Amino acid sequence: MLNTGKKETSGLTTNNSAHGRISNLSFITLAMLGVLVFVFITASLLVPRFFDIRTMANLLVQQSELIIIGLGVTFIVITGRLDLSVGGVVALAAVLSSYFSQAATRAEFSLASGLGLPYWFAVILTLVCCMCIGAVNAFFIVKMKIASIIVTLGGMSLARGIAMIIARGAQRNVGLPPEFRFLGRFTVVGTINLSVIIMIVLFLIALFVEKKTIFGRRLFLIGANKTAADLSGIKTGKQIAQLYILSSLLAGITGILMASKFCSGNSSIAMGYEFDALVITVLGGTSIQGGFGSVVCAVIGAFILGILSTSANMLGFPPASQLLVRGFVIVIAILAQRYALNKRNV
Amino acid sequence: MNSTDDKILKIQNLVKDFPGVRAVNDVSFSIKQNTVHCLVGENGAGKSTLIKILTGAFIRSSGKIILRGDEYEAHNPKEARNRGIATLFQELNVVDELTVEENLTLGIEDSTFGFIRRSTKIKRILETLKEIEPSINPKHKVGRLSVAKKQIIEIAKAAASEAEIIIMDEPTASLSEKEITRLFRIIKDLRKKNVTVIYISHRLDEIFELGDMVTVMRDGKHVETKPVSEVKGRNELIHMMIGKTVFEEYVPRDTASLESLLEADGITNEKLKDISFSVKKGEIIGFYGLVGSGKTELASALFGIDQYKGDFIYKGKKLTGGPSRAINSGIALVPEERRTQGIFPILTIRMNIPAMNMKKITKNHIIRDWLERKAAKEYIEKLNIITQSTEKDVRTLSGGNQQKVVFAKCLFADADLLILDEPTRGVDVGAKSEIYSIVRQLSEAGKSIIVFSSELQEILYSCDRIYLLFDGELKAEMRNGPQIDSKEIINIATGGN
Repeated sequence: MLNTGKKETSGLTTNNSAHGRISNLSFITLAMLGVLVFVFITASLLVPRFFDIRTMANLLVQQSELIIIGLGVTFIVITGRLDLSVGGVVALAAVLSSYFSQAATRAEFSLASGLGLPYWFAVILTLVCCMCIGAVNAFFIVKMKIASIIVTLGGMSLARGIAMIIARGAQRNVGLPPEFRFLGRFTVVGTINLSVIIMIVLFLIALFVEKKTIFGRRLFLIGANKTAADLSGIKTGKQIAQLYILSSLLAGITGILMASKFCSGNSSIAMGYEFDALVITVLGGTSIQGGFGSVVCAVIGAFILGILSTSANMLGFPPASQLLVRGFVIVIAILAQRYALNKRNV
Repeated sequence: MNSTDDKILKIQNLVKDFPGVRAVNDVSFSIKQNTVHCLVGENGAGKSTLIKILTGAFIRSSGKIILRGDEYEAHNPKEARNRGIATLFQELNVVDELTVEENLTLGIEDSTFGFIRRSTKIKRILETLKEIEPSINPKHKVGRLSVAKKQIIEIAKAAASEAEIIIMDEPTASLSEKEITRLFRIIKDLRKKNVTVIYISHRLDEIFELGDMVTVMRDGKHVETKPVSEVKGRNELIHMMIGKTVFEEYVPRDTASLESLLEADGITNEKLKDISFSVKKGEIIGFYGLVGSGKTELASALFGIDQYKGDFIYKGKKLTGGPSRAINSGIALVPEERRTQGIFPILTIRMNIPAMNMKKITKNHIIRDWLERKAAKEYIEKLNIITQSTEKDVRTLSGGNQQKVVFAKCLFADADLLILDEPTRGVDVGAKSEIYSIVRQLSEAGKSIIVFSSELQEILYSCDRIYLLFDGELKAEMRNGPQIDSKEIINIATGGN
């Protein structure tokens, strides 16, 4: 883990405090990594065919889309805010990227007729539209000072609603250009596809931004005390607005990738992704109160959740009990984090 | 009277250990019934820990507490109250959404068939409130009251409860002179009503005015307990508290010949009325006024937080825009409320210090760990922040050290003008004197400083020139010096002529 390497060198800092030598964040990250390893080993032992390169690869592919969204959501949660619009934006991006690039016939069946734009242009236009949803969120949160949970709940309905209108509540999968399939069909090795590559690249960029840039540092300052951040000359409104636009952009990228993979612009994909993204974020150890967390946590959370779902599937649990197990694990994990941090900081 | 009988509370060999620190170290002393027993010591001396053990917030590591001859141990504040120990905490415990009356009776309501009944108990509480502060209407929402008045509500609640011992942890920190006078009268009355008061304050003058006995603590240990009448002045008390004398008398300088840095012309807004003043390079200016006189509002206007009419001309240019603009042009603010406006409590000292000027820890736009650690260490040493590591969360530091972190933030911003709003509120004597000496060093180095304070001592100890504020108006300007008449200043600042 990158953030555990904080060496403390001088007499001042090596003086052993009650906390030992690693920060609270590294502590939680390591603890959740431990949980991930435990879950992984347990699943490997108990679930037949789990410990298999193909299962692993599938897990990676499945979770990478969620992780891309989770990166933006983590940044927003670190500032002490929420973004519940991401699932809707994924669907919007999927539908728009299809609609923009579908051949412009004058067919009777209007779901088969789009704008006929070149695919690259359709992608850009889709991302711009998604960023507009983020901008709407930002406007209400920053300028109108409305709680982010309310605003983004509205943003979720707005994005999903537009997607449903354009796809008539169904999907657009006729008359797509051949390039449309390219992104989703592109694989490196086995089933490792483009979304895994994009996820890894974006994760590394996000990690760098979080640890090494002023932009990343401001996330923590805003989350820890927004008033103090304002009085320290940080333009908190601007930064929060940028984050919502960024989060929608990441959701847009995910939507385009998913549409390409399924070769269809379906208005009901990514249902509940906004909550999954939030779950992996807090499951990894990021605090919903803000000022504490990391994108590393989101990745760890995503794999813990992924292993649980995969194992439950492979063991043939019915979906209802899967949900129950999931809810149970999330509550336990978050309680355990609280407990551990309290113990540590007495 | 039997000498053992009149001791209501006896603390014997009390110890409280935290990982790595012994916060209370073998403390023994007794508290006489119907006295005002003052507890003094620097921040981190162990007073708060001791109080928290009494109120049940902490469990002691060892030792004994005898209350009226019986062993005493509380596990939570309610248990403490049931045993007759009520506490007035530093942090306000009022609910803004409720009325004054509802707040006062919260948790002690009497009811008939589930309906709240106005019992004699409630009437007594309201009477007590009226006695302390007649201007508070019990039917008003607490959210509309000033901090000082909110505190008075808490005081009334503790005073009216049937406690035998009331612990007051810095009750006057945000009260005006008038309110303090009323509070003191109430405390003196309490003594007649068979109530013992344990009084904690950093304002030493209050100890002499109010206290019967005083206990001094230092570094977790008990230093001395004796009658206040036997203490020979502030200096002896300070000496016991920190083992050295502080507050060298400040010699104000003649700053008439200095170059001008800031000119304020006709600053007016909802709270401020046509305020004009000037600040010169290297000068320390003091604004003295009571709570509510417009000090914070003036500081906020200057820093670009609040809107105003009029001009601030700084280094020859008109100031516009918000705090980020102010910081970029070389102005930094130490805000009034340390906890909610100054520090980032859950972040480390290392992350707090560069917050105002993060460019200084980057190279080619990338944060460099070594620059950041160097900066943190440099300022920890420069300002003598007591911590074991740069990686400690700021919330774990004592009040004085937290305030030094806020100062470090401002110094790191390389400002030429520092605005200090109540810079030593809730800070112990030792840290106070350190902060004053930092202010002086800065002014020697050519920085200008504006101190806004409701503590006259503070203004007299640190400023070259003084402005008096009352009700949003600038009432007087004077040069600090031996000729200054503090009675006259207080007279003006309280609205006299």
